Amino acid sequence: MISYPDGMIRDLLEARLSPEEVLRLQREKDEGRFEQVLRLEQERVPWPDRILVCLQEHLYVVEKPNGERAVKARCGHEFGDYRVNWKERALVYERDPQDGEIYQRHQGADPDWQVLREFYCPGCATLLDVEPVPVGYPFVFNFLPDLGD
Amino acid sequence: MAESLLAGGDCLSDLEVLRRDEAGAPLRAVAEPPAPTTAGQYFRRFRLPDLRRLEVALSISASPSTREQGEIIFGLYTPEGDSICLSTGLMIHVHTMSRAIKWMIEQDYESDIGFNEGDYFFNNDSFIGGGHPSDQMLITPFYVDGRLEGWVGGLTHVTETGAVEPGAMGSSFTSRFAEGLILPCLKIGESDRLRRDFDILVDRGTRSSVSWLADNRAKLAGLKLIREAVKQLIADVGIEYYRKVVREYIEDTLRATREKVRRSLFPGRYREVAWRGVTLPGQESLLHAPCEMTVTRDGRIKLDFEGLPSARKQPFQGTLPLFEGMLFNALIQNVFYDLRYNDGTFLAVELHVPEGTVCNPSNIQLPTTLWGPAYGGMQAAGQCVARAYFAMGYREEVHASGPLTSGNLAGGLDQYGRPFGSQCFEFAASGMYATAFMDGLDTAFSDFNAEGDMGDAEVWEQQMPQLWLAREIRKDGGGYGRFRGGNGIHSLYMVPPGVEMDMGSFGSPPIFSTAGLMGGYPASCLRVWVGRNTDLEARIAGGLEIPSSEGEDPSQPDFVRTVRADWEFVHGQNYAARPLPAYSLFSVVSGDGGGYGDPLERDPSAVARDLENGVTTLRTARNVYGVVVRETPDGFEVDADATQRLREEKRRERIERAVPAAEYKRRVRQRLLAGDIPAPAKALYRDVLRISSKWARGFREFWDLPEEYEVPA
Repeated sequence: MISYPDGMIRDLLEARLSPEEVLRLQREKDEGRFEQVLRLEQERVPWPDRILVCLQEHLYVVEKPNGERAVKARCGHEFGDYRVNWKERALVYERDPQDGEIYQRHQGADPDWQVLREFYCPGCATLLDVEPVPVGYPFVFNFLPDLGD
Repeated sequence: MAESLLAGGDCLSDLEVLRRDEAGAPLRAVAEPPAPTTAGQYFRRFRLPDLRRLEVALSISASPSTREQGEIIFGLYTPEGDSICLSTGLMIHVHTMSRAIKWMIEQDYESDIGFNEGDYFFNNDSFIGGGHPSDQMLITPFYVDGRLEGWVGGLTHVTETGAVEPGAMGSSFTSRFAEGLILPCLKIGESDRLRRDFDILVDRGTRSSVSWLADNRAKLAGLKLIREAVKQLIADVGIEYYRKVVREYIEDTLRATREKVRRSLFPGRYREVAWRGVTLPGQESLLHAPCEMTVTRDGRIKLDFEGLPSARKQPFQGTLPLFEGMLFNALIQNVFYDLRYNDGTFLAVELHVPEGTVCNPSNIQLPTTLWGPAYGGMQAAGQCVARAYFAMGYREEVHASGPLTSGNLAGGLDQYGRPFGSQCFEFAASGMYATAFMDGLDTAFSDFNAEGDMGDAEVWEQQMPQLWLAREIRKDGGGYGRFRGGNGIHSLYMVPPGVEMDMGSFGSPPIFSTAGLMGGYPASCLRVWVGRNTDLEARIAGGLEIPSSEGEDPSQPDFVRTVRADWEFVHGQNYAARPLPAYSLFSVVSGDGGGYGDPLERDPSAVARDLENGVTTLRTARNVYGVVVRETPDGFEVDADATQRLREEKRRERIERAVPAAEYKRRVRQRLLAGDIPAPAKALYRDVLRISSKWARGFREFWDLPEEYEVPA
C-alpha cells in the first residue's frame, strides 16, 4: 500500500500542492491518510487537546483531558458537545442578499425567497458556514461523526 | 486493477481455472479454449467496445448536443435489465435504461409485443426511465442460440420534443401534455431497421425532427456494433462462462463499492440542503431537497430525502428513475470514479425518497421537465460526500456544489422558411465548483455530463438561428470563497431579420441554487434580460457600437446602457418562450460553481489575477475579499498592509453585527409564531409540515414551537 510523505500532505492541507501532485493523490489512494492528517493537524493547532476527527475547515472534534468530546476551533474557541450542532454556539448574521455588500443587486437572491445566514466563530470571526435559506429554516446540522459512543 | 477486479472473486478464480482447462471447452460450447488471459483482461473487454462505439455514434449523429457536447451513453444489460457496463458520457442514465428494460419485462412485452433480435424499443417516458422527454433511449435485445442473453441500450438528450414551448425544456409547463411527444417503450424497429412511420410521426409531431432522427440512427449504429462485439465475446468464451462472469461482474462491483466507501468516507450522519422553486403565477413556492446521508462503518451508504415537498402541476420536479440516476451520477463522479459502474454500484446504496413528492411523483400526468429538487438532491448528496472525504483526510476530493443547469430555447421559422426548435446546450460548459485546493474552472463543467462542452456557436446558429453578439465568462458568477467557484457563460443573442422566432429560457426563481461549502458563498443568481424594439438595425447601418459584454455592473449591463430598447429583466431566468421581433436582444447566463472557505482567507494575489483576467470587479475585491489593489501599467498590485488592515476591520464588523445563535433563534421564533415570513417560505413550510411528520417534528423542535403549530396565514 502506498503512502505519501508528510511534506506533501502538509502542502495539501495548506492548499499549496501543484495540480499534478493533486492528480496523483486523486488517482492513487493511500490507506493511512486519516491518521496522518490527524497527526499533521495536531501539529498545526496551538492547543494540546487530542483531535479525534476534522469536522470541517477550522473545526475539529477533540477529546479533552476530562474525557469530554467537544467541537473546537483552530483559534481555541470551544463550541461544546460534538453531538450538538456547533452552529447553536456560533455568532449568526442574517444577511439581506440585496444589501449590496457581497452581491451586486441582480446577482443576489430576492430576500422574500432567501436570506444568507452567516455563521462566525466567536473566537476569531472566521466565516464558518453560509446557509442560503428562507427565513425560518432550521439550522442545517451538517455532520455528526460516528465516534463509536 | 486486476487485483481490484479479483477482490474476493472466488467465483472468478474458479472460472479462470475452467477457462484454462481444455476439458472445459465442450461445456463452454467452444472448440478451442481462449488464449490464456486473466479475468481482469476479460472484464476490460466489456468496457472498451462501448468506448469505441461511442466514437462511431458521435460521428454519425447530426445533432449538436450529441456531436458537440457528447450527450450520449451506451450500456450493456443482463436479460433481467441489470446494467453490466457502460460507456462514458451521460452517466445519469445508467440506471434509467435499466428501469425501462425491467418495465417492459413487467408489462409482459414478451408475450404479445414480442422480443426478437433486431428489435428496437424507443422510450422517452420519464416515469418509465429517462429524465424528461428530451432523454430518449433506444434499447435492443440480443440472443444466443435462441435464448435472450441481454440488452444493449443507448441514450441521447435531444433538443426538441414538440412541446408547447420550443426546445423541450420550457419553464411554463403544468402538465405532461405540454411536454410534446412522449412514447413509452414503443417498438420502432425490426430486423435492424427503423420504421419509417415512426420517422413520420416525429417529423410531423415536432418543430425539428433532425436531431431526434439523427440521434436514433447514431444510437442504432452504436447498438449494433456493441451487440456484435458482445456476441463475439460470447463466441470466444462460451455462453456459460459469459453468464457467470456478468453476474460476478455486478457482484464484484458491489463488493468493491462497499470497500471504497469504507476506506474513503468517514462514518457518520451528514446533512445538506439544496434549493429550487416555482415561479408560476399562483403557486410561487420554494422547493428544497433535504439530504441526509448516513455512512456506516462497514461501507454502506443510506440517502434519505424525507421532507421533500409534494409533487404538483409545475415543471421543476423529476421522476424516481431520474432521481436515482442523478444520485448514481453524483456517487460515480465523486466516489466510485475509479471503479467499474453498473447496477452493483446502485445495490450498495439504500435510498429513501417519499412517494408523491417532487422527486418521486405518483401522478404520471404531472410534468417532469426541469427536474428541480432532483438536481438539487444530487448537489446536496455531493456536498455530504465532500464532508465525509474531508473528515477522512482526503482533501483532494473535497468540493462545493456544481452549477445549476440553465439556458435558452427557441423555435419558429429560420431564414430559409424551415421550421426549427431547439434549446442551446452551451450550458454544458458552466462554472465548476470550488475545491479545497483550487478555484473552480470557468466555463468548463457540468454535473450531468463531466465530458460536456459548450459547442461551437456557429454550429448552434445552424440549428437555432440566434446570432451570438457575446459569449464571455460571466463576471463574479462563481460563489466567493477562499477558493472561488468557476464562472459560467454569459451569452447575448440577437434575433436576426428574416426569421420568425419565439425565445425563452429556463433557470430558477430569484434564489441561490448552488451552495458554497465551509464558509464559501453560493453562486450568483441567474437572470435574463430581454430587449425588444431595439435600435440595433440603425446601429448596424450606421456603423455604431454593437454591445459584446455585460461589463462591470450586472444591474446595468453594457448592452442595456448602449442599446435603446424596451428592456425587460427577469430575476432567476424562468422566462416562458414568446415571439421576439427582429433585432431583439436576449441575454442569459449559465450556472456557476459554489465557493469554498472564508473569502477573507483568499490569497490576495489570486484576487489581483482575477481582476487582470476581467472575471471579477474592484468592488468585489474590496467588499468580499478585503483586498486593496493599485492599478499599475502592468496590471493590479496588492497593497499588503492595507489589505491586512481592511481584513481586520471586516472581522471586527462581523463580530459587531452578529448575534449569538440563541438570540437569533428567539427572534426568528417570534416571526414564525406571528406568521411574519415571506410567501415562498410559507408555501414550503405549510406543504412539508402537512406531508412529513418526521420533518415537521424536527422543525417544531428546532424552533421550540408547540406541537400544534401551523404556519399562520
